[in-house]
Amino acid sequence: MRDPALSRPPDTALSVRARGIEKRFGSFSALRGVDVDIPSAHLLVVLGPNGAGKSTLVRIVAGLLRPTAGTIEFGEAHPEKCRNVRGQIGFVGHATMLYPELTARENLVFAGRLHALDNPAERARELLAEEGLEAWSDRRAQTFSRGLAQRLAIARARVHDPRVLLHDEPFTGLDGAAAERLAERLERLREDGRSLVLVTHDFRQASRLGDQALLLANGRVAYRAEAPLPSASELDEISRHEAARA
Amino acid sequence: MRVALAVLWKDLLTEWRSRDRLVAMAVFALLVVVIFHFALPEGTGRQIASNAPGLIWVAYVFTALIGLNRSFSQELENDALSGLALAPGERGWVFLGKAAANFTMIGTVQAMTAAAFGLVFDLDLGSVALELAAITALGTAGICSVGTLIAAMAVRTRFGEVLMPILLLPTLVPVIVGAVDGTEHLLETARIPFDAVQLLIVVDATYLITSFLCFEYVLDE
Repeated sequence: MRDPALSRPPDTALSVRARGIEKRFGSFSALRGVDVDIPSAHLLVVLGPNGAGKSTLVRIVAGLLRPTAGTIEFGEAHPEKCRNVRGQIGFVGHATMLYPELTARENLVFAGRLHALDNPAERARELLAEEGLEAWSDRRAQTFSRGLAQRLAIARARVHDPRVLLHDEPFTGLDGAAAERLAERLERLREDGRSLVLVTHDFRQASRLGDQALLLANGRVAYRAEAPLPSASELDEISRHEAARA
Repeated sequence: MRVALAVLWKDLLTEWRSRDRLVAMAVFALLVVVIFHFALPEGTGRQIASNAPGLIWVAYVFTALIGLNRSFSQELENDALSGLALAPGERGWVFLGKAAANFTMIGTVQAMTAAAFGLVFDLDLGSVALELAAITALGTAGICSVGTLIAAMAVRTRFGEVLMPILLLPTLVPVIVGAVDGTEHLLETARIPFDAVQLLIVVDATYLITSFLCFEYVLDE
């Protein structure tokens, strides 16, 4: 388990606080009064059955969706008052956000330019090496398998070294080695002071990595837990129970 | 500004590699010119010359609709639009990059359309090519500024491809009035009319500034 006394460099720390988040799509309520706190150097695991509102919640935290009600604050900044908050968020969604006609390197360089990096080509080289994608760096993304594209998408989300990293089912399509590398990286990022959110159906990874767990069911928080989190089998049982109740 | 240049670079590079938008626009523009050729009654050169400004701008506008429609639909693939929405700072720079890319691609097809128009209708556009390019550039800047904004608004709607021309064409009336008037004077007198240019500059500036500022809210889901 992570040592709570680990130093948290101020330049990497940014807490997230969401209160009373609601989201309606027409008459359908996707989220109903969800509160979330993600201190810096913490990893929040979001669990729940399909349609529980997990992806909606992370897209709202990322600033991609406006909540119908509720507020989100990053450190001291309200996102609508501070556009630069977007520059502190990295997001891995269901889709890869890659351009099929661009090579792996060009996709990362473009993402770096969007974030006004001084040397996006150098940053792209670093990330390709970290993800073990050097051999594929000059191949177009349209030729990538699901797993390779997911690894590139994860690199893309980190191109600007964000302080808040949101992962929506990032293990999808990854082979065992790539999944283990991602899990280790998440631990390193947390130790480095980042605020992390991991939406997953993988209870083993959730139990291993999470400092907090949030179980959504039918748009509501059905269960919360703090570290040490229950085991994978216990989380699975709780999840089934709450899903059946909802 | 670096964000705008990055988006411009990305759009032109992806188009260079796929060529789907340029080819679609070019083929469509050529077909419009050919259809005009067969649809219009046989007439003297003078009659054709008087109709040419309106006809050529009809071809330009409908060709631009195809390009603008595709401009944001490619961003939906892999949800790349969310990547653009997550860029820090003023989202207007993303708009400016997209609009500049649209301007470049539509302008390329317009040059080819004008050449085809001159050949098919036996018009001497070569002697006023620079002046015609200037007026076309002003008109296209207006089309691309408001068109890029509306394309971004329409792309996530269920009937985006239908909605876009319905929203865009009425807003293009002042652009078309200025551009057709300017082209008509140019073909008659071989000089650029000040009134038409003035109108186009005012409309372009209005659409450009409005679209730049509104784009912040358009990229939200």
